[in-house]
Amino acid sequence: MTCDEIRDLAPAFALGALDADQDRAVREHLATCPEAHDEVAAFAGVVPVIAGTVKEVEPPAALRGRIIAAAAADLEERTRLTAPAGATPADPVTAAAPSGSAASAVTTTAAPLSLEATRAERTARPSMTALVLGLAAVFAIVVLGAWNLSLRSDLAASQAFQQHVDSVLTTAAEPGSTTVILTDQNDPTSAGLAVVGKDRAMSLVVRGFTPTTGSTVYEAWVIAPKRDPVPIGSFTVGSDGTGYMTGGQAPAVTGTMTIALTHEAGPGATTPTLPIVSSGTAG
Amino acid sequence: MTADSPAPSTRRPDGPPSAIGALPSPADAADRAVLARVAAGELDALEELYDRYRTMAYSIALRMTSDAALAEDVVQEAFLGAWRNASRYVDGRGSVKTWLLAIVHHRAVDAIRRRRPTTELPEAEAPPPAALTLPDIWPDVSAGLDRETVLDALDALTDVQREAIELAYFGGLTHQEIAVRTDTPLGTVKSRIRLGLLAMRRVLVGEEWVSADGSAEPAGDGRPEGGR
Repeated sequence: MTCDEIRDLAPAFALGALDADQDRAVREHLATCPEAHDEVAAFAGVVPVIAGTVKEVEPPAALRGRIIAAAAADLEERTRLTAPAGATPADPVTAAAPSGSAASAVTTTAAPLSLEATRAERTARPSMTALVLGLAAVFAIVVLGAWNLSLRSDLAASQAFQQHVDSVLTTAAEPGSTTVILTDQNDPTSAGLAVVGKDRAMSLVVRGFTPTTGSTVYEAWVIAPKRDPVPIGSFTVGSDGTGYMTGGQAPAVTGTMTIALTHEAGPGATTPTLPIVSSGTAG
Repeated sequence: MTADSPAPSTRRPDGPPSAIGALPSPADAADRAVLARVAAGELDALEELYDRYRTMAYSIALRMTSDAALAEDVVQEAFLGAWRNASRYVDGRGSVKTWLLAIVHHRAVDAIRRRRPTTELPEAEAPPPAALTLPDIWPDVSAGLDRETVLDALDALTDVQREAIELAYFGGLTHQEIAVRTDTPLGTVKSRIRLGLLAMRRVLVGEEWVSADGSAEPAGDGRPEGGR
């Protein structure tokens, strides 16, 4: 493509109105041409103004949670992919983990080898301020949940929990899903994340919960405005404080949806036993 | 072109001062600080960025797709794109708002074109659009303008210029597709887009654009339609 052709196509290029081949050819020319081609910038500078007259519309509140959940999943993936394969002696967390295990893929204090490693290090130290934000629950599950892997001896259970965290975060990132962050006002170290898919299939993960004993379970409830709580399903929590529930089916909810967890004597409760252990509201 | 390209060469040396300052606005400085935290992997910074620009992003996406669910997908992909590529934002190459707007627009065009199976799609990981890679001669062009000035700029367009520009920007059509849609020669469509953008530029910065060889582009109504 010649410089004259670039000048001819500059307005359409700035507007994004070239087909894929032309667009690629212009970019390749601009990347290598010694001429400045200021005309492209002159046109490109005008283009954002075209958007200025669009009628403003607020996005659905649930979109925010989906985006943050997807970013959290992305962060977790990057952390997993970029962490060193083996623990270093200077690393107090991974040094305690079984060599070559899944736990060794998680590090909190290893020297940052890359931008991603730096990110992983930062995110492994959520501040108390962050914990009081709604985001903290996602954060805590992704980071502290994974961190727990290195402290637990039951690797099978650890990996199962991690898989459920991944599954919930993946569903949370899908269009049409509703994400609810579960928190306990009295215990900022416990957290959970529930997600209701477009097909209303519901799953959740929790960590930092008091372990269940005997036949006791945690029951998940969906609460719609002016409606009785609907039991969705129950789950147990192991000695490591983690638990998960899958296969629930949430009712259709008009208005704001609240999800609450209660501690019950056994599965099959039809009315919640107070107090509510943990709860959150969509959006 | 490089980040150090002599942007002033696009302006008349003896022309009046630009109506739009080239210095970043305080809002943009705050945006850049937030984006730096996004680049460092701080999720709460992404929340902050989303809260600042969610309305802008969704409004554009909805206007372009006319589909609420698709618009949500576009916004989600755009913010995830910003999350993953925040470290590639370059100071001085346009405001964060403009950068984000370009990402949203790029994603929306991609979504629209996917609905048209006859259109060749850009590469999935194609480089970002012009505003991401090219210096913006007035970095806060959109942030610093009031709605009245924007409307004045759009009022400077003739009906056919506005049609061509809106079909391209909001409709995601290529200039060849606009030519077919409007039953107009391709050269005429190119001229309408060129003259329309130049007319807007005159309203926004009060200057004629001067090409590298020193010659000014003709005024919008002084150039015949047609050409190649």
